[in-house]
Amino acid sequence: MKKIIISLLTLFGVATMLQSCVDDLNITPDDPLRLEADQFYSKPGAYKQALAGIYGNLALTGTNGAGSSNIGGIDAGTSQYGRVLWYMQNLTTDEVIWSYENDPGVREIQRNIWNAANPIIRGMFGRAMFQVALTNEFLRQSTPEKLSARGISSTDQAEIATYRLEARALRALAYYHLMDMFGKAPFVDENTPISVAGPEYNRQQLFDFVESELLEILPGLKAPKSNESGRLDQAFARMILAKIYLNAEVYINQDKYAACAEQCNAILGAGYTLASNYLHNFTADNHLSPEAIFFIQSDGIMTQNYGPTTVMINGQVGSIEQNGVSMGVGAGGWGGALRLRKQFVDKFEGSEFSSDARKTIISGSRNANISDIANRDQGFILAKYSNRTSTGVAGQNTTFVDTDFPLFRLADVHLMYVECAIRGAAGASMSTALTYVNALRQRANNGSTIANVNQSALTLDFILDERSRELHWEGHRRQDLIRFGRFTGGVYNWAWKGNGSAGIAIPQFMNLFPIPEASLASNPNLTQNSGY
Amino acid sequence: MKTLSKKLLFTLILMPFLVLSQGTVNGVVKDASTGQPLPGVNVVVKGTQNGASTDFDGKYSLSKLKSGDVIEFSFIGYKTQDVVYTNQKTLNVSLAEEASALDEITIVAVGYGTVRKKDATGSVSLVTAKDFNKGAVVTADNLLNGKVAGVTINAGGGAPGATPTIRIRGGSSLLASNDPLVVVDGLPMDSRVLATLNPNDVESFSILKDASATAIYGTRASNGVILITTKKGGKTLQVEFNTQFGSGKKFNKVDVFSANEFREFILAVDQNPTLFPGQTLSDRLGSANTDWQEEIYRRTDFIDNNLSVRGNLFDRIPTRLTVGNTYQEGLRLTDHMTRNTFALNMSPTFFEDHLRVRLSANYTNTKRRNAPGVEGNALTFDPTQPVYDPTSPYDGFFEFRNGPGLGQFAPIAPRNPVAQLLQTNNRSINRKVFGNLELDYKFHFLPELRAVVNLGYDRDQGYSHNQTSRNSLSGPIRLGLPIGNNEYNEGVGINKLLDAYMVYAKTFGDLNFDITGGYSYQKFENNGFFTRNQNDPDLVPQFFRGDDVVYVGFFGRTNLNWKDKYLLTLSYRRDGTSRFGENNRWGNFPAAAFAWKMKEEFFKDSSSLSDLKLRLGWGITGQQDIGVGLFYLPQYFTGDPNSQYQIGGNFLPVGVPGAFNNNLKWEETATYNAGIDFGFNNNRFNGSVDVFYKKSFDLFQVAPFADGSNFTNQGPANVGDMNVKGIELNLNYDVVKSDNFNWNINLNASKFERRIDKVAAGVPLFVGFTGAGTGGTSQIMQEGFTPFSFFVFKQLYDNTGMPIEGAFADLNGDGVINLDDRYIYKNPDPDLVLGFTTNLDYKNFDLSFNLRASIGNRILNTTRSTRAYYSFALNGVLQNVSPYVYETGFINQSNETVLSDMFIENGSFLRMDFVTLGYTFQNWLDKNVSLRVFTGMQNPFIVTKYSGLDPEINGGIDATIYPRQRQFLFGANLKF
Repeated sequence: MKKIIISLLTLFGVATMLQSCVDDLNITPDDPLRLEADQFYSKPGAYKQALAGIYGNLALTGTNGAGSSNIGGIDAGTSQYGRVLWYMQNLTTDEVIWSYENDPGVREIQRNIWNAANPIIRGMFGRAMFQVALTNEFLRQSTPEKLSARGISSTDQAEIATYRLEARALRALAYYHLMDMFGKAPFVDENTPISVAGPEYNRQQLFDFVESELLEILPGLKAPKSNESGRLDQAFARMILAKIYLNAEVYINQDKYAACAEQCNAILGAGYTLASNYLHNFTADNHLSPEAIFFIQSDGIMTQNYGPTTVMINGQVGSIEQNGVSMGVGAGGWGGALRLRKQFVDKFEGSEFSSDARKTIISGSRNANISDIANRDQGFILAKYSNRTSTGVAGQNTTFVDTDFPLFRLADVHLMYVECAIRGAAGASMSTALTYVNALRQRANNGSTIANVNQSALTLDFILDERSRELHWEGHRRQDLIRFGRFTGGVYNWAWKGNGSAGIAIPQFMNLFPIPEASLASNPNLTQNSGY
Repeated sequence: MKTLSKKLLFTLILMPFLVLSQGTVNGVVKDASTGQPLPGVNVVVKGTQNGASTDFDGKYSLSKLKSGDVIEFSFIGYKTQDVVYTNQKTLNVSLAEEASALDEITIVAVGYGTVRKKDATGSVSLVTAKDFNKGAVVTADNLLNGKVAGVTINAGGGAPGATPTIRIRGGSSLLASNDPLVVVDGLPMDSRVLATLNPNDVESFSILKDASATAIYGTRASNGVILITTKKGGKTLQVEFNTQFGSGKKFNKVDVFSANEFREFILAVDQNPTLFPGQTLSDRLGSANTDWQEEIYRRTDFIDNNLSVRGNLFDRIPTRLTVGNTYQEGLRLTDHMTRNTFALNMSPTFFEDHLRVRLSANYTNTKRRNAPGVEGNALTFDPTQPVYDPTSPYDGFFEFRNGPGLGQFAPIAPRNPVAQLLQTNNRSINRKVFGNLELDYKFHFLPELRAVVNLGYDRDQGYSHNQTSRNSLSGPIRLGLPIGNNEYNEGVGINKLLDAYMVYAKTFGDLNFDITGGYSYQKFENNGFFTRNQNDPDLVPQFFRGDDVVYVGFFGRTNLNWKDKYLLTLSYRRDGTSRFGENNRWGNFPAAAFAWKMKEEFFKDSSSLSDLKLRLGWGITGQQDIGVGLFYLPQYFTGDPNSQYQIGGNFLPVGVPGAFNNNLKWEETATYNAGIDFGFNNNRFNGSVDVFYKKSFDLFQVAPFADGSNFTNQGPANVGDMNVKGIELNLNYDVVKSDNFNWNINLNASKFERRIDKVAAGVPLFVGFTGAGTGGTSQIMQEGFTPFSFFVFKQLYDNTGMPIEGAFADLNGDGVINLDDRYIYKNPDPDLVLGFTTNLDYKNFDLSFNLRASIGNRILNTTRSTRAYYSFALNGVLQNVSPYVYETGFINQSNETVLSDMFIENGSFLRMDFVTLGYTFQNWLDKNVSLRVFTGMQNPFIVTKYSGLDPEINGGIDATIYPRQRQFLFGANLKF
């Protein structure tokens, strides 16, 4: 009897031990920087950190510094939102060339011979859709029910309600970019469960979504210039609206210039002023520019990234000139990574531009023609951006710059207004347009009117060139060329367009980028753009 | 032991009486091959009870003898010898080992138990001391390299004490770990233990190759299992001291221009105005003659001392104690490793052998000064510049600079590799404690039933301190000035094990069977701390807390043996792992094996055929170490100090949801194996042939995730399929076997072929670097092809056979040469792997060497593909160029040129790892002392057509390796 009891007790003991060991298989992260969602949102300030995560996706590539990335299929540093945007909008055009064609995908991008396997195109698609996913998650985690359940105070709840609107604006930005570059995208919102591949939205559907979403949230957003720094306001939403209306003929084959002018007028009347010095929009302290509507952050220590400003400033440094120190980075920079194509240099040809502050071109003994892309001593170079402040103080870090990327600034609104006026939009007048153009000209000429133009000069060809002179290397050029019918076809060829040193026509289907093949493979709802 | 002593005592007491009445004989019994005395030999007068045993010194005494008595000398494992008594006073006998009898008792570890080698049903290879490689054995894997068909071991270079990459049958995974499970005395560990274990403590390796053998290890079994058994104590006192000294140096160099050749080259470049228009390169030439590959390497020392004492402590605890010390210098100037090991093994038995206890405790302290990899800079650095420059602000080392200041260095230039070595002081200490306690209890009331409990513990603690001079350009640069490096790093990993199982063994008539059932629990924890560079005020220390990993397994196995002809093994494991979510946490891993001893069936009376066994096996195994942490779990990640976003003037670490895949699970492999073991002439010639087919499913791969559906665009998923098929041959032949002359050879050959059956959505994966640019790839994972096949451009050549720069076949015919024109050209897997070892003993001389060959493996030689261009001569400063430029004539390196198929070379090789020659003094100083002295050479030669330094690299991409050295060795083994 005693033996049986002992045996039973032993058996019971063994069974209990085994069960507790099996329970050990439930592991939770030990690391305070990795938490499950409920744990994360139980911390004070977590919602603001999550909002910073969505904003941060424009600036950062991951949570572990500049070498980390939340997305794959592309070099981590290159996957930065602003950088892929800049590659696709600027490197595909006459404004710039990248010397190191070994870097995957760059050669095909800048010679306009890309295909659906291109890592940079995949990076853009993935990064923008990640922005969408981040917003959707934030909206799911910040519903009034969740907030109440997590014991968030009503004051905080009201504040978080604004965060939600800003997150939606950032999602609209991503869908605007996808509409512009790909003409389609998988549509997922906060109601789509995780792991579900979204249905394909065509350009019209994306246009309607971006427009209605922005119009819906606009009244709830903070008034222009009234929000905390680093956060967006109504002017940001209006800026996207202005852009989609300006390009509506391309996107949905409809003339919406009047609607564009309306949004421009609203921004122009919102209290933004031009920076007194053109170059102060591109310095290490450019976030202070009165012209800034929304800039993508960069900080040499706290917000380290291989984004467009770090790339442009290190890349601007000449292989011969070794002029990095003057721009606040290492003397050699990246050894002459970026140079200008001749057609861009020609935009500043003539005495009209002899004292133009926007002409930061360095020619030296260089040949303006680039016959060999790998030869970094060929081609003129640029000195527009700097990691020194407006007063000349060097940035904190000699690789990662403090300079923010000017995504939206007032000068762009000036020129959009002018373009609407030239295109005869209601709500925009030629006389006002002239003052907007000349305001930029005078600013560029240190207040002098010597380069001012007459109303008769305001033509479509003029505005296309003037936009490049004012806004080069700011992520606009491809979109502008397409709107003016100069990107594809052979009307306008530039060096290395279509893979010829003098430029060759490219087919019209290239106005849209291909859907990345990995995206097609993982989402059966998606179809490839025609031509690819 | 006790009985033996009693018998001896009895004999001694009675002796005086016996001597008076009858004849007495004395003598010594020795081992015929080693000359060592044999204790415990039974000496009996045939047909009587009159007998004795030999003592520790092999001595015996037998009395009450009449002339004509037949005295029988018998000892297990030896041939019994009969001698007729003819009134001799002394009778010394040498017993010869009995080959077949030895095999009879050869025990093979199979995990949670052992089997007799002749009853093994799976593909199991046993390597014991007599087969071990000789020469400079620094890490335990050196004993094994090239010995077993289907097992490749590659340290990837000559770093002292490096952990090798081991592949058994090519592995089963695409991108997850292909490392086998290494189990030391029942404690599963990772393969790094091979570098910390004292090779002298290894008694045997048992390598489980097919799933019928490995499935008992469940989710960790797919890549094979290496079971290491360490040496135990003995009944007799034995002391062994081994000492070895080696002196090594490099034996070849990567081909670069010498200083004078470089001058000629640069002058010729200047003659061609199109290469560097407007520049005269020769103006930049220096006046020194430096061979940078001579400067960064040196002659090395290797010292290895090992003392082991084996005996019976307090007359009842068989104990073995080993103390080892190994000092090995690396070829790179500052590199050296010191390893001190301490091992204690005790195996007492209690309650009349009912309880066997085995305790093993190991401590290893490894100190290393690590040298940075400077080979790339040594190849590139201008040979006309000196090593030292008295005016240099960089601790007197020459560096390219534009002025006298510390910040006036040339921004783009290779850094002086000698300075890199000497200005870096990177020291690490690793302390590892591991061991286990095994209790094996045979029930008193039911001796057929045993209960075994095995408790294991392994603690690995590492520290490293990495410093570089503040005047060093190879350290970090901040605000345009070198600031030096000062990093401290520490980490600890702990691994705890509990195994408990019962074994029941019984014979019913013709059926002999055993059944094992048990439970295993293992937990791994780790954490660490890293200061990062303390000279850089922007950097903050990092703490690292790894997620615990827990395994729980239930297992069972039965061996059925009918009439000693038909053997059946069935095993089953149910394994749980903390790496996956609850719905995928558990896996079931069955296996079955059948063996038919055809010798017993058909050739029972054959004397020439001594063994013939057919084996068939099948099993399912898993692989759960896919290296993605808790990716199954939705988590929020917080930005590190450099990943913040500023709102309202405050920097906030970003909070970002992490991607996850809650469907993640283990990879699964089904293996089919068929083999034949054979032996002739008392197994003097024996061997085995195995064929296998492995099919792996649900292989971990980074697969695209539908954009916007998760928090990334790609991530780990179980999507790939792969198969491996192969054939292995192993032959042993005792060519000559006699008292004075023994010669045996071992030859093994294996061939395997890996093919990818499925990748995610059929979209190939691009992997492997090119050696140039950021993120370019040179290899591909594509369905229907070998993993890591090279994916390159097809080079076009002119009429004279010269490659045309940038001209490649437009393979897709679209008129544009772009990445779409690459094709699959060869792969790094060998077509055939061969191993050969031979031991030759003549009288007291012994000679041993091995040969290994790999045939058909291909290598991307990036030392050429990135450097054989004229334009490479100038990149900010002059750079040395691969002399292969004369054969390519290439001007510029580009995306395509670095991926030309002309840089894929045949890496076949034949290598001798070691040759040793020894002489043994059997009775040195004293008849109980034997001394063997030996000399030898490590890495005496390699035969290859490969143009790079060494074709034996891992992964097929040669981006310079740490060269292996050639060593001359001298040593002595002392035994008493």
